[in-house]
Amino acid sequence: MAENVTRHAPGETVLEMRGITKLYAGTVALHDVNFSVERGEVHGLIGKNGAGKSTLVSILSGIIQPSSGEIIVNGNSFSSFTPIIAKRNKISIITQEPQTIAEGTVMENLFMPIYNDHKKMIDWNALRQKAHEILTKAGLPIEPDYYVRDLSISAQQLMLVVKTCYVEDADIIIMDEVSASLTQADSVLLYRIIEDRVKAGKTVIFISHHTKELLNVCDRVTVLRDGKAVGTHKVSELDLQKIAALIVGKTAESAEFSGHRNVKIDRTKEPLFELRDFTRHGKFADIFLKVYEGEIVGIAGLRGAGRTEIFKSIVGADRFDVGQILYRGQSKRYKTPEAAIKDGIVYMAEEREREGLIPIASIKSNMSISVLDRISSGGIISTGKENTMVDELMKHLDVKAFSREQEINQLSGGNKQKVMVGKVIAQKPVVCLLDEPTRGVDIDAKESILHSIDEGMREGSCVILSSPGIDDLMKICDRIVILYGGRIIDEFKRGEYDEEAIYRATQGEVIHKEEAEG
Amino acid sequence: MRTSTKIQLTLLDNLVWVLLAIFFVFNVIVTPSFFTPKNMVNILFQSSLLGMLVLAQGIVLMVGELDLSLDATLAFAPCTTILLANAMGGMNPWLCLLLTLALGALIGLFSGTIVSKLKANSFLLTMSMQIIMRGMVLFLVPFSLTGLDEVYSFLGRGRIGSIPFAVFVFIIVFLVFEWIFRKTIFGRKFKLTGGNRQASFIAGINTDRVVIRAFVLAGILAAVAGLIAAGRQNSISNTTGNNLVTFSIAGAILGGCSFSGGVGKPIGMLGGALFLGMVDNSLTLLNVDVNLVAATKGALIFLAIILDRVRVRYSAQLMYKENLRKLEQNKDGTGAADAFVKR
Repeated sequence: MAENVTRHAPGETVLEMRGITKLYAGTVALHDVNFSVERGEVHGLIGKNGAGKSTLVSILSGIIQPSSGEIIVNGNSFSSFTPIIAKRNKISIITQEPQTIAEGTVMENLFMPIYNDHKKMIDWNALRQKAHEILTKAGLPIEPDYYVRDLSISAQQLMLVVKTCYVEDADIIIMDEVSASLTQADSVLLYRIIEDRVKAGKTVIFISHHTKELLNVCDRVTVLRDGKAVGTHKVSELDLQKIAALIVGKTAESAEFSGHRNVKIDRTKEPLFELRDFTRHGKFADIFLKVYEGEIVGIAGLRGAGRTEIFKSIVGADRFDVGQILYRGQSKRYKTPEAAIKDGIVYMAEEREREGLIPIASIKSNMSISVLDRISSGGIISTGKENTMVDELMKHLDVKAFSREQEINQLSGGNKQKVMVGKVIAQKPVVCLLDEPTRGVDIDAKESILHSIDEGMREGSCVILSSPGIDDLMKICDRIVILYGGRIIDEFKRGEYDEEAIYRATQGEVIHKEEAEG
Repeated sequence: MRTSTKIQLTLLDNLVWVLLAIFFVFNVIVTPSFFTPKNMVNILFQSSLLGMLVLAQGIVLMVGELDLSLDATLAFAPCTTILLANAMGGMNPWLCLLLTLALGALIGLFSGTIVSKLKANSFLLTMSMQIIMRGMVLFLVPFSLTGLDEVYSFLGRGRIGSIPFAVFVFIIVFLVFEWIFRKTIFGRKFKLTGGNRQASFIAGINTDRVVIRAFVLAGILAAVAGLIAAGRQNSISNTTGNNLVTFSIAGAILGGCSFSGGVGKPIGMLGGALFLGMVDNSLTLLNVDVNLVAATKGALIFLAIILDRVRVRYSAQLMYKENLRKLEQNKDGTGAADAFVKR
């Protein structure tokens, strides 16, 4: 959206938050934050993970109540909101994870809970008609009668955007990392909807981790750092580097990880790990991949390209249909992750809360879970050995916590991720399958995680790494293979990395003519 | 963290023991002939039967499942074994004893296998198991089975000095399990599996096996409870252990278990079992109308469970205050934001 400058008309202040503080048991989420938004602007909230962006907009939408402070909407002052009061003031939020009723239809989700303006009986035909109009207007290729459970996450999210913008007709629309779960095509639709709403005089508060997107979409940005607002800037005066610097709070360059160490990899030897014709029908097909000792191979691909599925099928968390896994030249088939781990093939799950960690257990139990037999004798765990190991890992990874006995629940996203990495390092794996190890962590944590992978997992072993960010892969990978629609369609060697070309390849474009085979 | 906060948190973590202590003192003052050595032993003896079931239920809850068939196993295992022995014209009582435990284990193995492999809902599955086994007991034992062998009934009747043998078994079993869950890999895996089964599976734990083990242990413990019950009455009837399963759940939850799994320790469950035992005992001593005992018991459990919710809230409050204090120490807030972790 190149015309973002023209549409910005400095208007009246529609919303102001004054001196907002939010304390939790164990944490200060926000500290005396002042924040104001003008009518008809797209206002970005930027900051690292845990800076307080989500907390601030949750207060604004009434999901959580502030410990102190004042919210002023259209000249009316409130000390706190409930979701109902927020909606009455025409403030609506679309959260990071789509909040839908999966067993309901699209139209039910769109019009719930008001249906036909609170009438006692529901006129489904009228609703269907209205839903159809709205969906067509927004350009969504879904029907009112579709079940939400059958929609992709991206379509669900966009449906909620449509609900907020056109059904609730909110004056202040909050989008909390909405674009994170959107496909490329759906993002374009999102930008178009934002454009349309701003023209109609509505206001959008926009949170995103993509700096490019922020530059394109926003008029102004407010920077949050460690729970404090540290300034508001006009986007027209910013560029990529400046935004990155604002987020990190130091110059962008100094935060950069020093990068690839140019490790010599002997590709004449037998590969440490190999996939041949690896196929699971409907998920991925014909995967050929050779990984040599000391090598880090990146897998780039869109959400749904099959990265997670390949990893899970390798370690036996899922089945596969055709093909071979070769480990040190020997054909293997693992029925359970337990068997794979015995061979030193370790999978680090993408979904931290669901598959990666045990939220109600301590840091200690989470880190030692896969190595219990190494810190015990005769089945009896040695407390001393376990504590020493966990303390060393926590120090090495700089995990911030009261003690090793603290529950995972109480940690920030970055620290949780570090515990996951610690769990993998503790196993001294031979083949590491790391599924988005830098997902949802702030820049500092990301650098330290990438560094630990580069430093600690090359010796006598190899790494296959997937990441949502191509720049992460470019930093530490020796090769990047491109996965598209469940197939490897291309490969980039170090030296020919070009972020834009790789990005285009992940969208399905063939960059290299010759057949790519690991 | 301040020491006073730490002490309060520790007390809250072991709330069941605090409740037990308060209730104990109350009884010492109010209830006639409560605080006598004989009655103390009596409480332990009375708690031993339910205690086995509480521990059994607690272990199953720990892995995130539920076993409603425990009180049926309690009756089914000994009654089937005795009938078998009778049908064979007598059996070595030691073998008979072992066979009872093996039968309990087998029932647990069966339920556990179906729950873990077929992903059946444990509530529904064990409920049907309970109905089947209760029905079988009713069919097999229209009257009571009496005249048990002395070896077989020793666990329920036997005494060492003046103290019932069951009391020793009761205490030792709990201590052994506390040690197992604290120190061994075998025990550690229960809580991990209950905390997040998928994550544990990916981390290399054979979670199906852990779930099966939980049901097997529970089955064995229920059979032990069956032996205690049989010995105590010196007979087995079709009503033995009726309705005890609700109290086993109450005791386990009081002792710190949760329906969502992943938490609980045997020492807590011991507290839960003793609390229930003491309630029984004091209501009898206070001459509460027999027909009112059940309701009173229910009310006390209700109260304890409300207190448990208060405990959770109060712990959060404590952490909150601790945080405010830290915030005052670093007036600008940055230090606090750093020292504390984000939720």
